[in-house]
Parts: sequence; C-alpha cells; structure tokens
Amino acid sequence: MKDFLRYCRMTLLMMKNCLIREMQFRSNFIIRLFTEVIWLGMQFIYVEVLYSLTQSIGGWNVWEMVILLGTNHIINQLFEAFFFDNCTKLVDQIRLGDLDFVLVKPINSQFMVSLRYTDYASITNSMAGFAMIGFALHKLGTAITPVEVLLFLLLVLNGIFILYSMMFCLSILTFWIGRASNLFELYYQLTQFTRYPGEIYRFGLRMVLLTAIPMLVVSNFPAKVLVGGLLSGRLFYACAIGVSFLLITTWLWSMGLKRYRSASS
Amino acid sequence: MMEALLKGTSAWKYWVILSTRTQEDMAYRANYMVGALFRFLPLLTTIYLWYAVFNSPGYAGSGRMGKMTLPDIVSYYAIMFVARGFSSMPGMTRDISLDIKDGLLNRYLIRPISYFWYQTMYRLAHKLIFWLAALITFPPVFYLIREYLKHSPTVLEWVGFFISLIIAFWTGVLFSFLIGCLAFWFLEISTFLFVIMTMEFFLSGHLIPLNLMPSAIVHYVQWLPFAYEGYWPCMILIGKVQPDQMGTVLGIGFLWVGIFFVLVKLCWKWGTQRYSAVGG
Repeated sequence: MKDFLRYCRMTLLMMKNCLIREMQFRSNFIIRLFTEVIWLGMQFIYVEVLYSLTQSIGGWNVWEMVILLGTNHIINQLFEAFFFDNCTKLVDQIRLGDLDFVLVKPINSQFMVSLRYTDYASITNSMAGFAMIGFALHKLGTAITPVEVLLFLLLVLNGIFILYSMMFCLSILTFWIGRASNLFELYYQLTQFTRYPGEIYRFGLRMVLLTAIPMLVVSNFPAKVLVGGLLSGRLFYACAIGVSFLLITTWLWSMGLKRYRSASS
Repeated sequence: MMEALLKGTSAWKYWVILSTRTQEDMAYRANYMVGALFRFLPLLTTIYLWYAVFNSPGYAGSGRMGKMTLPDIVSYYAIMFVARGFSSMPGMTRDISLDIKDGLLNRYLIRPISYFWYQTMYRLAHKLIFWLAALITFPPVFYLIREYLKHSPTVLEWVGFFISLIIAFWTGVLFSFLIGCLAFWFLEISTFLFVIMTMEFFLSGHLIPLNLMPSAIVHYVQWLPFAYEGYWPCMILIGKVQPDQMGTVLGIGFLWVGIFFVLVKLCWKWGTQRYSAVGG
C-alpha cells in the first residue's frame, strides 16, 4: 500500500513537470484543440454519408455509431496522453543506450519509462469524446444508470491498457531486432479495427479481433455497455484479456532487459 | 547509362542525390516491406464497412450511393493507395521547416545546388523505392479484391490516370515545400502541420470519396488542389470522368501545379531574404 501511494505520488510529479513544460507552448495547445474540432467535424460528415441510405450498420444505428466513435476517441486520446509518446521514445532509449538513466533509479523501470511524459492536449481532446457520447445518448433518449457509467469507465480503462500493452510490446521488440520503426505502422493500422462495429467483420476475423488482437474488446465492449447489450460474461472476459496482456508486458520487459547492452554510439 | 548521359550537365548533381538517397533507403528494405504491407489493413476495414452499408437490412439505395456502386467505392479506396503513393510526402514539410528553424539551411545555401530540387530528388528517391516495393505488395492485394474491380478503363482513362499521377506528385511536392517555407515567417509550425495534414486527408478524398458529400460542398472542394492528390486519379480510373471532362479536369490540375511553382519561387525568394541563419 505504501508502495502504491509512492507510485501515485511519482505519477503526479511527472505529470506536474510535463504540465509546466506544456504551459510554455500555450499556442500549440490551442491549435491542437482546433485540429481536434476539425477532425470531429470530419468524422460526423463520414457518419452522415455512411448512414445516408441506411438505418443500421452491423446492427448499430447512427447514434449508437456516434457512441462507438466517441468511446474510441476517448480511449485513443487517453492512450496517447499517457503512453504513446513514452512508447515511441522508448525505442531510441533502448537503441542508443539512454535507458541507463532509468535503470539506475530506485523505481520500477517499466513504470518509469511508460509514464514519464504526459501529453495534456490529448487529455483535453478526450473530452470531445464524452461530449459526443452525451449528445448521442440524449438523441437516443436512453437513461444511463450509475452502474453503467462505472462499467463503461472500467472498460475504457481496460481498453487503454490493452492498447498500451500492444504498443509497449512492439516498442520493446527493439531489444531483439534493432531498428523497427515500421512496427509502429502496424500499431496504427491495427487500431483501425477499433473504430467500427465488430459485427461488420466476418466470423474468422472477428474471432481474431476478440482474442489474439483484441481490438474489439478495446472500444466495442465499453460502447456496448451504453447502447445496451453487454453481457456480464463479456465483462469478465474483457478484464481477463486486459490483465493478461499487462502481465505479458512485464514478462517481456524483464526478458528484454536481460538483452539490454547499454550500447551507445 | 544515365551516368554517361548526364555527366557534365547540371542535372548530374541531382542524379547523384537521387541515386545516393535510393541506396540509403535500400539499406532498410526489410523494414520497408513490412511497413508497405501493413498499410493495406485499413483497406480491409473500409471494404467490410461499405459492404455492411450496402447489405444492411434497411438499405434503401438500389445498389448505389450517389453515383457510386459498392465495386466503385472499393476500387476507389484501392486506387487511393496508388494515388497517395504519388502525392503524399511524409516528413517533407517537417524536414524543411526544421532546416530553416535550426539554421541547417546554411549548408545548402552555400552549395551550388537548388534546395528545392535537392528536396524534390530526395522525395523522388523515396517514391522510387516505394514503387519498387509496390510492385511486389500491390498485385496480391488487387488480386484479392478482384471481384470489386469491375471497371476496365479505356485507353483515354489510362492515359488520363498516368497524367493525373504526375499532377499528384507535383502537387504533393510543391504544396509540402510551400508549407515548409512558412518556417521563414513563423518559428514553430509543427502543430500547424498537423492541421494541414488533417485537412489534406479529408480534402484529397482519402477519408470519403468527395462526390458522396453534400453537393454544395463537392462543387467547390473537387476543384481544390488537394483533390488532385487522390480524388481525381481514382475517379478517372474507375471511369467516373467522361471523355469530354478529362481535359478540364487535367487542365485545372496543371493550372494548380503552375500556380504552386510560382508561389514556391516567390516564397523561397522572400523567405531567404528574411532568413537569419540562427543555430546551424
């Protein structure tokens, strides 16, 4: 428990440092928000076009689709806020030997490399996702219970951890294969699968996206809580996937560290 | 053979840049091929999504959305990969703006080469490698979706398509260079680049075929230079540009390229006059 509090304090400290740095570039922050508004506008036009001739895609009506997009937006933005930069930076840290500075500190190294930098603009941007969901729920006229809100947040967190696990594992492959920038490309392309209803994929692909590459667990599951229809079995399954993916990262990290040669040039 | 032909001419130095850059890229070919294959994954999701739209229970469009059938739309997105392969210049704007901001431009200014042509050759080298890889990765992908590739283009459409790809390449290079030059006037443009990239993604028709958008928007957006970076090459090859429109479409494209050329010249002239060579 004492350790847990210490790590919480560390997280807040790192976040504070980043906030101080971020505030030096306030105009950047505003432009990022502006981009976000444009991006959302584009998404709305896309949905509008998709639903111009039909009422439902894969069993999701237009507002349910907006909820899915909003959920996906929140998860991706929060993942980017806390983990994305850290994972990309990790590749160079491993390659150039800068990991030394982390390893000598009296703190869990995976924790430190994963949460070192926070991107605040992404946190603010995630609010747009909540707004989308709120608006869509209003349009649907659905009332949401506090339990559903909690479950939703839990699964959102779970989704973020799954994305983190996948990206982190791709980053630390650097321990074994050296330069691998295109693996990030893979990550980007895989996240495409979180954007749309799982029902549109064929059975085989859907199974893969529910198990080995659980992209549907990331965003479809939390969205299902709000549109109604997430069974409790699925809830447990989602959490089991999240936890096991996290465990894999810690295992892979410890394996990778054994191969770390602190090589610098 | 090229070497014998160019040696002694002023094109020689640019040939050297091109061949050096190509060799550099070849060193990472495995990494490259992997990336080239992954890039097709979005095509898969897009096909599934549109298939679901056209086959949904309440579908009310008699096989068409606007003027597009499902095969049209799938072909459109597939050809988009080819078109964007010509027009997208990843990292170019950022490289240029950093050269200007950090004063690295000095080392080009003192050399007897044009920075613009240096950058163009650099990107052309990237594109050559991209196309070499594409010769291996594209055919299987197009084979897999062959049932959707219904339209067999006429000779005119093929010719128009190849010309439109040249326009696509130049629009991409010139526009990226132009935006990069903004760094002469503004210190920090990296976030601004993000806005531009987002707009480009949308206005080039990469996200949605432009003609599916409300007609009030299409009417203007299709004549912007961005449409030449993706939309028009696709529309030509899926047979949605009538023979009598072909001239207009390509003509306006060349007009944009011409305007951009002039703007690049002007921006470079004014910019280098302002340039203070900080850092370096």
